[in-house]
Amino acid sequence: MTDAPARVLVVEDTPTQAELARIFLTGMGHEVRLAPAAGPALAMARAWRPDAILLDIELPDFNGFELFKQLRTEGIDSEVIVITADGSHRALKEAMRLGAWDYIVKPYNKLALATPLGQALKKRGLERQLARVEEARPSDRFQGFIGGSPAMAAVYQIIRSVAASKASVFITGESGTGKELAAEAVHRSSPRAGREFVALNCGAIPRDLLESEVFGHVKGAFTGASGDRMGAAKLADGGTLFLDEIGEMPLEMQVKLLRFVQTGTFSPVGSSRIERVDVRFVCATNRDPMLEVQAGRFREDLYYRLYVVPVELPPLRERGADVLAIANHFLTQFAKEEKRKFKGFAPDAEAALVAYNWPGNVRQLQNVVRNVVVLNRDGDWVDASMLPPPVVRVGAAGAAAAPAPASMPVPPAYAPPPPPLAQERAPDPSQRPAWEQPAPPAVAPAAIVAADRPWVQSPTAPPSLATYVPPPVMARPAAAPEEPDIVPLATMERRLILAALRRTNSDVPRAAALLEINPSTVYRKLQNWRAEGLHDAD
Amino acid sequence: MSLGADFAQLAEDLSPDDVRQVLGVFERDVRRLTAALVAASAAHDATTFRRVAHGLAGAAGAVGAKSLESACRAHMVRADLDPEVLPGIATKIEQLADAALVELAAFVAGLDRQSRRA
Repeated sequence: MTDAPARVLVVEDTPTQAELARIFLTGMGHEVRLAPAAGPALAMARAWRPDAILLDIELPDFNGFELFKQLRTEGIDSEVIVITADGSHRALKEAMRLGAWDYIVKPYNKLALATPLGQALKKRGLERQLARVEEARPSDRFQGFIGGSPAMAAVYQIIRSVAASKASVFITGESGTGKELAAEAVHRSSPRAGREFVALNCGAIPRDLLESEVFGHVKGAFTGASGDRMGAAKLADGGTLFLDEIGEMPLEMQVKLLRFVQTGTFSPVGSSRIERVDVRFVCATNRDPMLEVQAGRFREDLYYRLYVVPVELPPLRERGADVLAIANHFLTQFAKEEKRKFKGFAPDAEAALVAYNWPGNVRQLQNVVRNVVVLNRDGDWVDASMLPPPVVRVGAAGAAAAPAPASMPVPPAYAPPPPPLAQERAPDPSQRPAWEQPAPPAVAPAAIVAADRPWVQSPTAPPSLATYVPPPVMARPAAAPEEPDIVPLATMERRLILAALRRTNSDVPRAAALLEINPSTVYRKLQNWRAEGLHDAD
Repeated sequence: MSLGADFAQLAEDLSPDDVRQVLGVFERDVRRLTAALVAASAAHDATTFRRVAHGLAGAAGAVGAKSLESACRAHMVRADLDPEVLPGIATKIEQLADAALVELAAFVAGLDRQSRRA
């Protein structure tokens, strides 16, 4: 015997060859089952879960490659060794493309079988051992998540447990807690990882287009449908369909989604053709789904179809030391991007980060760290003076100072704000808003804020700062001219950046994404406008 | 007459009892498949003929009956397999199969003698 005993399924339609393989394998100490065709092989693989499959390609019912694809689609991860008389490059390339461990060309002797099989089983054993070790030890990283707090360890465990099944997953959590990351983690941990992960933000798609986005459409289905287009459901076939902000889905669309979830079938818009797909549903919302049901905004039957495995992501303020782990991760990443030398956070900065309650969660922490890195060029350590005032103030006053309701919008990234356009032409420097005055030493400039963001208000901040609302960009008289007014390019640039910041609740990375520029560019622009004096810029 | 049968690899890999077991299965395969081959040729059914020849080639190759294996493979891959010539090919393959079984019987008899001596 060369390996630990394993379960080996031999898929071979010629009895002589099957018998020879059986004798070889039992001689090696393995438990063996024989399947003379693809159909019985699939049934045995489902029920018996073999460690390895010796797969003949020429089978009487289906091609062996078809069986191979079906095994993988169903999440049967047995090591597959293809056995074929066709030693052509094309056949072998196809075998390896599908993920076969190895191939053996017929006829073969015992050694030719024992060597690749032994290697495949050894690799499988190591993978299982590693998985057991990973599961046993508390992990501070999981599929893109950072942090080993008990709350997150529980999340990781749920995701690991549910990954292998097809059960629908319903992710809840405040904005910025990583719901899409959790959905991706479910997909990447699942046997569907090799297929598509398709994400749709139900709240961001116009109501009229949502059905087409989910189910696709055919040419002529509606005005502008100039050709057939596949929807997310078809694209996710064999993979995972992530429906973000599902609570925003209109009720009439919920009916169609329910039918799709129940039957696995749908019709593209404008077509009577029924299509069947195999998708795993993962949904997310930052609302309480049961409250949405009770309020009549979410169908109860759809809720029970989708709310099979709930995953509740904890807010950052409940994740203890994860804040520092995540902050250090972002610091390393952004310092590399911005060519800074930061090695970490000084104790006073760490204390402030831990004490702050992060109403915008990880997304807010990400913004703060990027802001610090962009605006501070010197030093090895980030100290408290480099952190934006809200973080420092709450850190100094204690975490209880700033409660954070779940529905609270993401607070703004910390950045020196440009002035309201109405003030841009103010000629008297004494009339400049406070943020244009030189910042006192070791106190960072104020954040861009909207009037409805009370958490950045401070008794020490000038009223013009706390109530500052960037004026509407491009807000021209109602009768807009056909040609826009020609203004200096720099002015237009500033207006667009401010508009993007307003549109994204001052989420700089998202604003930058809308503008298709780097977030650090936005930070630098804001800093430059402050340094240069905006009243001269327009 | 040697038809290229080489059962030595089997004897190297398997115990005598296992060799007998495999060769017993092979004999049943050969009889079943040659009958199917003859039937396919009589029906001028080239598709079935190819599929059966493929199975017979695999069985022959597994035990080392090389001439039989080669003949089957040569015909199963021919694109110009004329239904009219199938009976002739089937007859030739049947003869090779019979010869392989004769050699097989001799090989098993040799194993038996060795077993008795031991």
